[in-house]
Amino acid sequence: MVSDKWEVNDGETIMSIELNKDQVNDPGLATSRLPLTAVFFRSFLIQAGWNYERLQNLGFAFAITPALRRIYASNKAFNAAVLRHLGLFNTQPYMVGFVLGNIIKMEEDLARAPGNAEFEKKLIGVKQALSSGFASIGDRVFWGRLKPITTQLCIAVWFLAGFYGWLFTGDGYRPSALVLFGGPLAGIAVYGFFAVYLRWIGLKKGYACGGIANCGLDAMRWPELIRRLSVTGFVFSLSIVLGAFGLLIAHNLPGESKGSLAMKLTLVLCVMALQRVTRKFGRSIFFAMGIIVAVSVAVFTVFNPGKFNIYL
Amino acid sequence: MIIVLKALISSLFAGLLQLDNVQAGQFLISRPALVGPALGWLNGCPAEGAKIGLLTELIYLDFIPVGGVVPPCGLVAAAVGVLGFAFGGLPESTAFFFGILAGFLYANLEYRLRVLRSSWISGIEAQAKDGTLRLERRLAGSLLIESAMTGFYIFIFSWLLALVSGFGFCAGFGALFRASDLAYSLMPWLGLSGLYFRFSTQVYKK
Repeated sequence: MVSDKWEVNDGETIMSIELNKDQVNDPGLATSRLPLTAVFFRSFLIQAGWNYERLQNLGFAFAITPALRRIYASNKAFNAAVLRHLGLFNTQPYMVGFVLGNIIKMEEDLARAPGNAEFEKKLIGVKQALSSGFASIGDRVFWGRLKPITTQLCIAVWFLAGFYGWLFTGDGYRPSALVLFGGPLAGIAVYGFFAVYLRWIGLKKGYACGGIANCGLDAMRWPELIRRLSVTGFVFSLSIVLGAFGLLIAHNLPGESKGSLAMKLTLVLCVMALQRVTRKFGRSIFFAMGIIVAVSVAVFTVFNPGKFNIYL
Repeated sequence: MIIVLKALISSLFAGLLQLDNVQAGQFLISRPALVGPALGWLNGCPAEGAKIGLLTELIYLDFIPVGGVVPPCGLVAAAVGVLGFAFGGLPESTAFFFGILAGFLYANLEYRLRVLRSSWISGIEAQAKDGTLRLERRLAGSLLIESAMTGFYIFIFSWLLALVSGFGFCAGFGALFRASDLAYSLMPWLGLSGLYFRFSTQVYKK
């Protein structure tokens, strides 16, 4: 046993520990490329085995296993570490790298101080704190902004390529496979870049600053990124909605009377207002959809107007 | 026979893609806007598949998979919509709405699968204690079950839609099909409205 001091990132000594070299495989090994790369690839399965009792615990334990194998030489210490990470865990899947990197670093430190219950408790606390913090950021960045932007990108590509079937459902135009697949794949490329980049950078930054509860939260200027994505999404949305109205008018103006066009525009505005009202009352989009279907069925079964001329 | 085989292959393919939705990767290759044209292309109707896919995606953007919430499944909705049209013989619009229903009901199956996996935990912990845990096998099993169940669900739902279609045409449901055409033509605007107001709310939020 060798007496040693354990320090946190700012250099402040917080406790004296005893280092048991027999139980530590090689504390520096986890910094080598191999385990972090293996952890990175395994992190894509973070949601595998998602369950209600412990949420992402199975995925997290699976992802961190290569690093734990490097850190702990004895099977007993390794099993204890795996068991520790089978506890409740939940974060935004793309942000898990930050938590993983941090916890790997803390596991290395814990390996230098086996049986230190206080530090083990701290590790669990930091893991929970980081998972909540990054879940909140990740939900805003990915689910709230990037994902809808990928849909907008798909619409933009189809719009520019002249495929308007997404707007005029009766349109029989058949675009090429390149256009059809190019739309969704454009969004996937952008989204995939962010998703992979943040996982990898998160793992590295998390490892670099491991041991503190706000580690990695300042890795990027999140509020600015979120704000920029919101503005980008808004500009896209506005352009698409204006473009859609322009198309509706251009599509109908040559053949339809002004009254018919006005009726179609009114119908569209009513649908948009319905979406807003149902949202305001906390109802999902299914509620608005149900109303539209019910009204359509009522119109066609009660009044039976034949082939209605308000198809958009 | 070939059309049944195509539907089966499409269902299994969709089941495989479903893994990307939650359990593995999450690169968005399971997004309805891609699944729609892909399954449409497999079944000879890529443009209709693309329309069903994108409209499904626009509608399903309303749901965010935060925490333990199980949102309706866009992939299942798009797959059932496309197969309902190509295999079931329903009009595109009616197939789309049945697809939305299928995606909504699938959340119940997903919930049960998650509950099932909860029952594994005590066994996994016991294995971890005595060092016999093979987590990769457990996770592979989890992926396999999810993929197979999704494929099976899509295939069965497509068969049901084929029956509905046959019954609908025999019983003279023409008016209902025309009604669904009208409702379907309004769906892009419903989705665009959701998309626009989502971002406008974010931009103006302090």
